[in-house]
Amino acid sequence: MNAMAELASLGESISTDICIMGGGIAGLTAAITLKEKSPHLDVLIVEKATTGWAGKADRGGGILAFLTPDDIPDDFIRFHVHNIGCFLEDQELLSEYAHTCNSVLDYLDAWGAKLAKERDGSWKYIKTPGVDVPWGMASVELDMCRCLRKHARKLECRFLDRTTMVDLLKEDDRVVGTIGFSIEDGGCCVVRSKATILANGSQNYRVLPMWSPGRGDGIAAAYRAGAQMRNAEFGSFVNMVHAASREVIFGAEDHMYNASGEDISARYRPGVQPDICAMSAIGWYKEYLNSNGPVRIKSDENVLQAGAEVLFASDLVWDRPAAIAFWSRLWEKGKSVEVEGAANMPEVIPGFVGEQSPVKVDHGMATTLPGLYAVGDVSYSGSAWTGAVPSPPGRIRGTGLMNAVWSARRGAMAAAAYAAGLVEIPGVDHAQAAELKERIFAPLRGDRGVSALDLVRAIQDAITPVRYSNWKSEERMREALGKVLEVKGRLADLTAADPHDLSRCNEAVSMALCAEMFYRASLERKESRGWFVREDYPETDNANWLKWIVLEDKDGEMSVSTEDIPMARYPIKV
Amino acid sequence: MNTININLDACDGCMTCVKACFANVLRWEKPAMSPVVAYAEDCVHCNVCELSCPRGCIEVIPDFAYMRWSAL
Repeated sequence: MNAMAELASLGESISTDICIMGGGIAGLTAAITLKEKSPHLDVLIVEKATTGWAGKADRGGGILAFLTPDDIPDDFIRFHVHNIGCFLEDQELLSEYAHTCNSVLDYLDAWGAKLAKERDGSWKYIKTPGVDVPWGMASVELDMCRCLRKHARKLECRFLDRTTMVDLLKEDDRVVGTIGFSIEDGGCCVVRSKATILANGSQNYRVLPMWSPGRGDGIAAAYRAGAQMRNAEFGSFVNMVHAASREVIFGAEDHMYNASGEDISARYRPGVQPDICAMSAIGWYKEYLNSNGPVRIKSDENVLQAGAEVLFASDLVWDRPAAIAFWSRLWEKGKSVEVEGAANMPEVIPGFVGEQSPVKVDHGMATTLPGLYAVGDVSYSGSAWTGAVPSPPGRIRGTGLMNAVWSARRGAMAAAAYAAGLVEIPGVDHAQAAELKERIFAPLRGDRGVSALDLVRAIQDAITPVRYSNWKSEERMREALGKVLEVKGRLADLTAADPHDLSRCNEAVSMALCAEMFYRASLERKESRGWFVREDYPETDNANWLKWIVLEDKDGEMSVSTEDIPMARYPIKV
Repeated sequence: MNTININLDACDGCMTCVKACFANVLRWEKPAMSPVVAYAEDCVHCNVCELSCPRGCIEVIPDFAYMRWSAL
């Protein structure tokens, strides 16, 4: 049997120049960029759901945080370093972002996405109310991914939908393909490629609904293949949400009151805050500890939620029919359980999001493995331009879409250059693929064992409590890590009834791995900085912790090391 | 868990709802040539299937109590 026939014996075998994992906004941007730059390249997007409908982009605010004509890149950089990323940024990449991110709006516009414009053709934007920040917010209609899919199809990109890719295939150190399966019929699928681009999002532990598709498949695949991770400790983003409907209340963190009627926002959010901060959830937790819960907000004071309702669910600022329908329907259903009498002082709770995005990449979005690139939310923190924050909403709402497009263009360019250096699509080692197939499909073998949803619930219990993942301490994190490792020990018992369930099993494995990364990195960082808050190390320690924490697999163990941030060559000093 | 009702009498089989679901809750049933609610437990009531159905055949009824996590 020749090599190709051997591979085909495992299932469907596909060859392509560039394989993109993930058909959301970052994956589509990468595909379009590749075809625009090199039309002769064969580009394949593999997507677990349906390309153009997948991912978070079309289920969010459609906000693009960009530098308005009145904003200066150097002001943005300075503000970012001091108030957002807290000196943990790669300032060189941050500078490139600040000077080139506005091109994202032009590209989206050219590719058919609908951006709001003024009569003179300039971008229609607003500034964040209540704070003076050096950026503005433009908007895009919430069918942007469908528009991009249409454009990508015109450029003859190929799509393989309803297929989840689980692991990467390697030849020595370089990535030469990927292996997964169809969630429809469970057929194994092997893709050989010159380069692979991960664009399948962050880890959100399927807690809050709209962030739910980010289940860390790409992060876990990259880690297992030997790629390094960076900034994995910034993966515990929370939004304050309505206790009854679990809908996010914009601005809730600035109007919180405890059971004694005291304004606790001022206590936990001193000074000017550009956006959400970890202390809101921590403050909520402390009030509960002191028997001062529940925490409520005064809706009458909260102009941000009122503003969001105007922005998202009306045509008063931006005329976006899809966005208006989406947000109106969401809020209308939420209000059905938001008790009328309590509408003006609803109870709020921290809604865990996560937004862990640690795949380490260089300025071209190349991972530490040759042939593997990571763009969008899979490498937001791993790219390090963002500093000490989880992926957006993070501390600058609207940089999620911007970074997705901006980083995907860079990653696509670099991947194209890499692929150009290879004459042929590399071969794949059959034995390696067969071994991975065995592991991937193992849960389908037995009818007894543990269900993926049970283990997901157990991982959520170790990651969502504020006392574990946001108000951190050595003791509590060790307790949480113990819970994660207990789940890890049960992964071999996962059982799946069908291919959809098998995909859930892979997601549970990814979640356990990401949670372990989060706690191992968090235990290492012995200080507080930006979103990262420790009860036992409450101060920022610039003498010892201007470092990135790097994780990688070494012989089956998660190794933790640090990398000094090259502050000497950065313009903004501590 | 959430309830998803599909009025199959009005459905013309365009498959938009199946494509629209980013959680793969809906599947396309080939013999019947119609959508089926296969994994309601994975529905996150984003309502995009409901909003995208050109004939208004789908209704998503959220079960807010099903969404639970421990913040404490």
